[in-house]
Amino acid sequence: MIVNLAERPGASDPAAVPGAGPQPQTGIGSGISIRDAVKRYGSFAAADHISLDIQPGEFVTLLGPSGSGKTTLLNLLAGFQQLNAGEILVDGKAIHNVPVHKRGFGMVFQSYALFPNMTVAQNVAFPMRMAGLDRATSDRRVHETLEMMRLTDHAQKMPSEMSGGQQQRVAIARSIVMRPRVVLMDEPLSALDRRLRESIQIEIREIHRTIGSTFLFVTHDQSEALTMSDRIAVMDAGKIIQVDTPDEIYRRPRNRFVASFIGESNLVEAEILRREGGALTLRTRTGHQFRAESRDEVTGRNVTVLVRPERLRLHETAMPGSIPAKVRSALFLGEVLRIEVELDSGEVMLVRCPDRAGQVLPDPGSEVHVSWGAEDGWVLA
Amino acid sequence: MTDVPADALMAPRRSLRQRLSDPALLLLPAFAFLAFIYVQPLIDLMMTSVEGEPWYADLARVFSTPLYFDSLIRTMQIALTVALLCALFGYPAALLIQRTRGVTQMLVATAIILPYFIAILIRTYAWMVLLGRNGPINKVAVWLGIFDEPLGLLFNRGAVLLGMTAVLLPIMVLSIYSSLTRVDPALKRAAMANGAGPLAAFWRVLLPLTLPGVGAGFLLVFVQALGFFITPTLLGGPGDMMFAMHITQQADSVTGEGFLQALAVVLLVITLVTVAVAGRLLGFEFIWGGTRAAPAPKPAKAVDRTPRRGLSATVADTVGWPLLRMVSGLQARWGAWTVRLMGGFIVAMLVIPIVVVMIISFSKASYLTFPPPAYSLRWYEKFFSDSNWMDAFWNSLGIACLSAGISVSLGATAAMGIVRSKIKYKSTVMLLLVSPMIVPPVVLGLSLYSLFLKFELVGTYLGLAAAHSIGGIPIVVVIVAAALQGVDRQLEQGAAVHGASPLTVFRTVTLPAIAPGLGAAVFFAFLHSFDELVLTLFLSSPRMKTLPLMLWGDINYQLNPVLAVVSTLEVLLVVGGIILARPVLTRRAGGH
Repeated sequence: MIVNLAERPGASDPAAVPGAGPQPQTGIGSGISIRDAVKRYGSFAAADHISLDIQPGEFVTLLGPSGSGKTTLLNLLAGFQQLNAGEILVDGKAIHNVPVHKRGFGMVFQSYALFPNMTVAQNVAFPMRMAGLDRATSDRRVHETLEMMRLTDHAQKMPSEMSGGQQQRVAIARSIVMRPRVVLMDEPLSALDRRLRESIQIEIREIHRTIGSTFLFVTHDQSEALTMSDRIAVMDAGKIIQVDTPDEIYRRPRNRFVASFIGESNLVEAEILRREGGALTLRTRTGHQFRAESRDEVTGRNVTVLVRPERLRLHETAMPGSIPAKVRSALFLGEVLRIEVELDSGEVMLVRCPDRAGQVLPDPGSEVHVSWGAEDGWVLA
Repeated sequence: MTDVPADALMAPRRSLRQRLSDPALLLLPAFAFLAFIYVQPLIDLMMTSVEGEPWYADLARVFSTPLYFDSLIRTMQIALTVALLCALFGYPAALLIQRTRGVTQMLVATAIILPYFIAILIRTYAWMVLLGRNGPINKVAVWLGIFDEPLGLLFNRGAVLLGMTAVLLPIMVLSIYSSLTRVDPALKRAAMANGAGPLAAFWRVLLPLTLPGVGAGFLLVFVQALGFFITPTLLGGPGDMMFAMHITQQADSVTGEGFLQALAVVLLVITLVTVAVAGRLLGFEFIWGGTRAAPAPKPAKAVDRTPRRGLSATVADTVGWPLLRMVSGLQARWGAWTVRLMGGFIVAMLVIPIVVVMIISFSKASYLTFPPPAYSLRWYEKFFSDSNWMDAFWNSLGIACLSAGISVSLGATAAMGIVRSKIKYKSTVMLLLVSPMIVPPVVLGLSLYSLFLKFELVGTYLGLAAAHSIGGIPIVVVIVAAALQGVDRQLEQGAAVHGASPLTVFRTVTLPAIAPGLGAAVFFAFLHSFDELVLTLFLSSPRMKTLPLMLWGDINYQLNPVLAVVSTLEVLLVVGGIILARPVLTRRAGGH
């Protein structure tokens, strides 16, 4: 059986414009427009003609492996690095002439970058001191922000007296205390353990909803990107490969790279037999026919089809449209069973079925049959 | 197998064998040596100083005689001024090293660090050449029309301050630079992203975080300057007598027994008190350029933490901000250019004297003048054909080799003992081992003199080599201990598990890993002895001349270009050694 993700209205509707995130509640976020941005180090292009439009108040994640250019893009926006070509507009104004400290963004760093010579309160007050706000306003805002981050008790501590998770919350407090139009976060959670990461993910989401700034979040962790973002920009080798909502990215990845970078994937080589709009009939190399969906732009006869492991079904006996396979390994993971099967063609497929009463793990070597529905296959460009 | 797990598992009584294999025993040879030749003479010195009637008579005389008391005050003033000047000029130089990249960085760093390894005597001589009546500074000034005729730039307070600052500056730069490299670069970005301009980021973040480095450098320079003897003697006038100079003078003119020792004890006590106070504040690691594990946050006090505004924060607010506002209109570029200009100036100040001396060594003139009227190798010929110079050279070489041998065998075993043993009070032991670094050489020389008379060591190879080893051992201990700490213990344990005996482990794993460190230690111990002048002045005999002694004599009587030849050869020696030792140095600069 397959458990489908709850369909988000409009997400699978091809007419819906992907990327129009939720409306900002307070409307302080800036729209950001990156146009044809290029950043080279010698002959290496860290940002290779990147274009990206971010709506005011949107939460966009830059996701990619290390070296894909996501941090470069963030640094270009922050002003730590200068573009070689192209431009970045914030609220329609080019920012390349604005020095870092005049951009008025909030930023959270991977290493927290709390000033070790200042208390928590002084760290959080820092942006306001720099902006020349009077002491009363500054104290009030520090208090508000610390309260929001549940750090009030720690106000007079030094950063070195706090745990990593607390330090990162202070860094987040510092980045939002001025209610900046844009908040940049550079892998802020990567130094924390999984449990803490998940709780701070939720916290960041809530802050985003509360203050309504535009958030640009960099991570190499796909599950983090999926849980937090309005939209994800998947990057590779200095280019943005795909920008879409998390469910679109997961269900309808543009190519092999996106498909394999996000989630687990089975990729089946097949030949197109018939095409009716976005619905295709295909044939595997072993001659089995099946159906799948595609974007209209798919061309050519030989294509790769993505089938997510949780969309596959295993049968003990042959069913119409099923493909025979042999079990290679079977693992019990708790909420799911993870089973690897090998097709006659030699292709290996991964199956994840939810744990159900009375289910037994198949023995390695036993014969099974694999099938998936017409809407479960996705043809990659 | 190591004895660690055995200790934990077996009965608390340890066998003789186990006791003998305790690495703490490795500390004994160095301790025995230092106790005999360093601690005991200093204790003798102190005892002699209180032999008067009443016991404080001689000490009281030091403070009640205006000549000495004034000199003491003057010495403190000069040391303080020099330390301040070093901090002022050292910071931009350190920033310059940190901000440059690649080849430029290497050149800047070398230009600043290289002089550190050249004998103080030679660097002072270079300044005498530079400031002399026929020196380049006078020539340029007259040519530019600043002076009408060459001025006497030497033998005054200004020359002393300039010379001492130039000589001690590298210590300050290294200290500040090492604290700069420890600042997370993300902090500067964070400051800027939070609205701080470059100046504000420097004032609020970078400067406060590097203040411990500045403090450590300041104290090291101050303490060294307190006991300075060579530079003020050569560059100062009659009104610039520093305290250490009185001690040597009195030693020559053999006054009453206890008084001379009392002078030395006063200098020693002031030095030690300064170091003790500094050590309380900064941790004693500052002496050997080490760092505390963490900047030790004050233990959290639950009560009354609200008005937490330190002195530095208050100063930063009341003085810093108005200033900052005033200059905040300036472009960010100005800061970068200030660093470049000041840093560049410092580099020039450190390098130009050496270059000038090297050029003068090829002069044809028989007196010192720059630029030389013509070039020749006549002074090289003179040096290599003069038996006095050559004898001195061979003496120095022999003594330095012997001393390096003593220093490395004792220092390396001690380093092994301190890193590998489980003794308590490790930092106290380390402090004892490196303490000769801070004792003024004049005091050390005086204290050793009577010991050397008693054992007839005056003017002997062995005696001089042993005396030089007092300063050589700390150098070796610091370098080798750092190298040993870099050795992966698991590699050694891996070798032991697979059947290697402790000696085999040391030979096949440990020794290769610390070999570069040992090499560097040998070189620097050699150099320390080769350059040593002050102890040698006390402990040598007229028949036993070393190269620094010859230089010292010549500088005081006739400034001729042979001195430039010796200086050039020494620079070449140091450059050669540094090139050989570079792998180790770069590893240490990487931030241990």
